[in-house]
Amino acid sequence: MAMNRRVSIIVAVLLVAAAIAVYAWREFNRKNESLAGIKPAYEVDATFLISEFNANDTVADSKYLGQVVAVHGMVKQVEKDEEGNYTIVMGDTMDMSSVRCAMDSTQAGKASSLKRGENVKVKGSFTGFEKDDTGLLGSDVKLNRGVIVNADNR
Amino acid sequence: MKKVFAIVIGFTAIVSSVTAQDKFFTKTGKVSFYSRAPLENIEAHNRSMTCVLDSKSGNIQFSVLMKGFEFEKALMQRHFNENYLETTRYPKAEFKGQVLNNGEVNYTTEGTYKARVKGMLTIHGQTQEVETDGTLTVKNGKLMAESDFKVRLADYKIKNDKMNNISNTISVSVNCSLEPLNH
Repeated sequence: MAMNRRVSIIVAVLLVAAAIAVYAWREFNRKNESLAGIKPAYEVDATFLISEFNANDTVADSKYLGQVVAVHGMVKQVEKDEEGNYTIVMGDTMDMSSVRCAMDSTQAGKASSLKRGENVKVKGSFTGFEKDDTGLLGSDVKLNRGVIVNADNR
Repeated sequence: MKKVFAIVIGFTAIVSSVTAQDKFFTKTGKVSFYSRAPLENIEAHNRSMTCVLDSKSGNIQFSVLMKGFEFEKALMQRHFNENYLETTRYPKAEFKGQVLNNGEVNYTTEGTYKARVKGMLTIHGQTQEVETDGTLTVKNGKLMAESDFKVRLADYKIKNDKMNNISNTISVSVNCSLEPLNH
């Protein structure tokens, strides 16, 4: 009887250890998941988002850093690099400042069909604000791992 | 009077076309880093780096948001942001420097030029003087800027963990395709 009990304790300990090991291993190897299924912490208009940073970038940084943000606004430009990665640039076409969202590779098809002047809503992970010191490039609010939530006529 | 007017316009056109050609920029520059260690190899990529190069003076600037680095594994990304680079406290890395042999680079003639670059590199709130080699390639009106260099964690007060799970020297690779800046 005592023997049986000892065996069952050992088995229980081994099972718990195995469960912990499996959990740790999976956590260790967990891939970055797509933002498609993640609820954004904030939903905001592109020009308003830019104005928040122009007003006080420290306050705005602490509000948005590391958060998933949904941004809607007008497409100023759709940029494609040599490797086929897309960046969607949003905001007021008369203003040099923009919201720039580097798109997830799964979004290439949707991103390529976007046109300048179209309205779009994207969801991305906020990476920071780059204030323009040169006066030549415009300041940027930056997001990455972007996914398109919706766009005109779609 | 008409003649003077024409000359003024002509001169203005020449001057503005010259200044427009002076500067090159990109906001989609790529920077990657690699760490090779016994436990695992780690790499991360950021494709939203800003770079401005003034071909006249040879001044070159890079700036990158640290939270924009993407890792294959979620946990690595979290450790990078929270434990190693403390990216909420130090959101940006920057390089401000000069192409030392700028006179040898012909920005208007297609070709690949060796570039020696020297300047101040700021990572994790620490600034160090660095000097490294790279290449500048003029092609189809664009300018490719490439460089590979090494960064020692200790120089930027980045703490490795007790197990040395990441390499003490990180390889950094920069690859930017710059366009002429037009106003």
